[in-house]
Amino acid sequence: MCAQPVPNTTEIRWQKVLYERQPFPDNYVDQRFLEELRKNIHARKYQYWAVVFESSVVIQQLCSVCVFGVIWWYMDEGLLAPHWLLGTGLALSLTGYVLFDLLDGGEGRRKSGRTRWADLKSALVFITFTYGFSPVLKTLTESVSTDTIYAMSVFMLLGHLIFFDYGANAAIVSSTLSLNMAIFASVCLASRLPRTLHAFIMVTFAIQIFALWPMLQKKLKACTPRCYVGVTLLFAFSALGGLLSISAVGATLFALLLVSISCLCPFYLIRLQLFKENIHGPWDEAEIKEDLSRFLS
Amino acid sequence: MAYRGGGGRRHGPSAAFHPVSPGRLFTCRTPTHNICMVSDFFYPNMGGVESHIYQLSQCLIERGHKVIIVTHAYGNRKGIRYLTKGLKVYYLPLKVMYNQSTATTLFHSLPLLRYIFVRERVTIIHSHSSFSAMAHDALFHAKTMGLRTVFTDHSLFGFADVSSVLTNKLLTVSLCDTNHIICVSYTSKENTVLRAALNPEIVSVIPNAVDPTDFTPDPFRRHDSITIVIVSRLVYRKGTDLLSGIIPELCQKYQDLNFIIGGEGPKRIILEEVRERYQLHDSSKIRVRLLGALEHKDVRNVLVQGHIFLNTSLTEAFCMAIVEAASCGLQVVSTRVGGIPEVLPENLIILCEPSVKSLCEGLEKAISQLKSGVLPAPEKIHNIVKTFYTWRNVAERTEKVYNRVAGETVLPMDKRLERLMSHCGPVTGCIFALLAVFNFLFLTFLRWMTPDSLIDVAIDATGPKGAWINQYPYSRKRGRNKTR
Repeated sequence: MCAQPVPNTTEIRWQKVLYERQPFPDNYVDQRFLEELRKNIHARKYQYWAVVFESSVVIQQLCSVCVFGVIWWYMDEGLLAPHWLLGTGLALSLTGYVLFDLLDGGEGRRKSGRTRWADLKSALVFITFTYGFSPVLKTLTESVSTDTIYAMSVFMLLGHLIFFDYGANAAIVSSTLSLNMAIFASVCLASRLPRTLHAFIMVTFAIQIFALWPMLQKKLKACTPRCYVGVTLLFAFSALGGLLSISAVGATLFALLLVSISCLCPFYLIRLQLFKENIHGPWDEAEIKEDLSRFLS
Repeated sequence: MAYRGGGGRRHGPSAAFHPVSPGRLFTCRTPTHNICMVSDFFYPNMGGVESHIYQLSQCLIERGHKVIIVTHAYGNRKGIRYLTKGLKVYYLPLKVMYNQSTATTLFHSLPLLRYIFVRERVTIIHSHSSFSAMAHDALFHAKTMGLRTVFTDHSLFGFADVSSVLTNKLLTVSLCDTNHIICVSYTSKENTVLRAALNPEIVSVIPNAVDPTDFTPDPFRRHDSITIVIVSRLVYRKGTDLLSGIIPELCQKYQDLNFIIGGEGPKRIILEEVRERYQLHDSSKIRVRLLGALEHKDVRNVLVQGHIFLNTSLTEAFCMAIVEAASCGLQVVSTRVGGIPEVLPENLIILCEPSVKSLCEGLEKAISQLKSGVLPAPEKIHNIVKTFYTWRNVAERTEKVYNRVAGETVLPMDKRLERLMSHCGPVTGCIFALLAVFNFLFLTFLRWMTPDSLIDVAIDATGPKGAWINQYPYSRKRGRNKTR
């Protein structure tokens, strides 16, 4: 490693100290140079199928947006009766509500201390208010051009996908913002539907698919992973089917997107891990690992 | 002003040096250089880099070199100033951007710097600190002008976040064709070699130094009860948060323990909170004293009041504070980070992990040693430490670097472009190669506007033909920071 002439006495070994005058030139490079260098000590090893499994959260959310779009299109075209959607939605919500408690044996409910009466109350309040305000919703955006509404909805739904809490610990994640954007998009779209009842049911459906469904998904994923995979597949196929009935090109593109996210992206993540080179050594700034706030509370 | 103009009354070449004052040891065996130190950080700003530049320049002048310093204007302090022994300082009117560092465009400073380099007939440019934009600018221009370049890195930097990735790339560009690099500790050398992808052979390790006569022990001024002294800026990187945990922990355990904290910073508030909450500053007995910002000359007077010196830094290339404290005869307790383990031998320092628990254990060990009286006397510690780091030694070793650099060739333009493109990556390399070409064209334009031959040559204040007469040969040692 070094081409420096080492002094003749072999006993004198170079020491990594500054306070002693050593018989070596100042630019001497010892064998021990960089011996404390560590690489990738915090790097994680990924398993392909584990990453694929984790990517299903993204798939689910994409499918939710797709299903929402498809349903809205059917309502707008008048092919889907609002009563029918209301009935199915209610039935699915009730099933989900029961499942939500069954999955962990009521563990989560006991921890949060929330009663069924409270759930019923908030559901009633929400439904009453949405129903009461749906005429307002209907006429809210009359003065705005339809193109603007579509563009706004697209941006809001994209924002919903970007800020959604997929489980990553990043600064950009904000589930409140994400939910608000989705509801805003649904209000925009609902205002373009033919009748007041349509608007009411569309907003209710948006709450079900963007607020309640991810909560159930999270629990499903934690308690019964196999079941969750099945549900994801089923959901993805139904979303694709729905899209296919509207546009074949759209369905193909959506299918490609889903496949690339669930199969191709994990593959590249693992391949690119090989190029990871994180350098650590004694020069790193030390981290304070303790909780020091206890001294001031 | 003890300045005498040129004319015929100069010293002849044989009597090249100042009248020799007692204790001055230099010989004529080495060639002398015209050195220009460049950094954004210089007096009146205070800190490690500033005093390094000042002390090193003084010792190099003493060894017969011509030294000038170039920095940016500090408020009212602009133009040319002369410091002790005729050290000439240019305070240039460049805009300060952030943290006392100037903005860089790689071009705007060329006319001024070229003028100075030509005027002063500089042969070696020595830039300091990787945080200083001016230092990097000067390196860039010096290479365009074909001057030899040396760079001293005073700090450590990580590799993890985006800002360090970018600064490290810039450092790679700046250092890839620099003749020689100096680091202040072996850890710092490893860091710099990795950051700038350098050949380790062109990186020398020359530690900082402390003037041992400024830091002498005074056992009579020590407090009766055991006192722990902390002197540092109160910022996150100096571990002030750790201090806020150590103080209550130890004050509750030892009733006769006091803390003296010198320094100012944004984290002062948490120390005040701790003091308030644990009632450590009753009017009858102040157990934690916060002194606020200290001037460099007052540091010694604070240090000698204590028995133990505590350093809680989270990162440090070379910790001057612990050497100063040890020189004052204190037992040092410090975190084991960066270059600190290289600085003092094991019997003079207790190294701890950067956590409250480990530092408390280290301090308790020091307290028990102090109580049982096994610690050596302050005078004895001082006598050991004063041999470790001296500025004369630093200057001697830096001079070796200059001699080596003077023998090297500066890369001609085509080789320099090749080096930039091969060494700094395809994108960055090409961008900076293009900038180097522009810089060269700009220099050619400036040379056409004002040819070198038309630029006045300055009268040397220092160096072989130095015209500065030292009126007060050694009596003004104490006032070395004074400027006019």
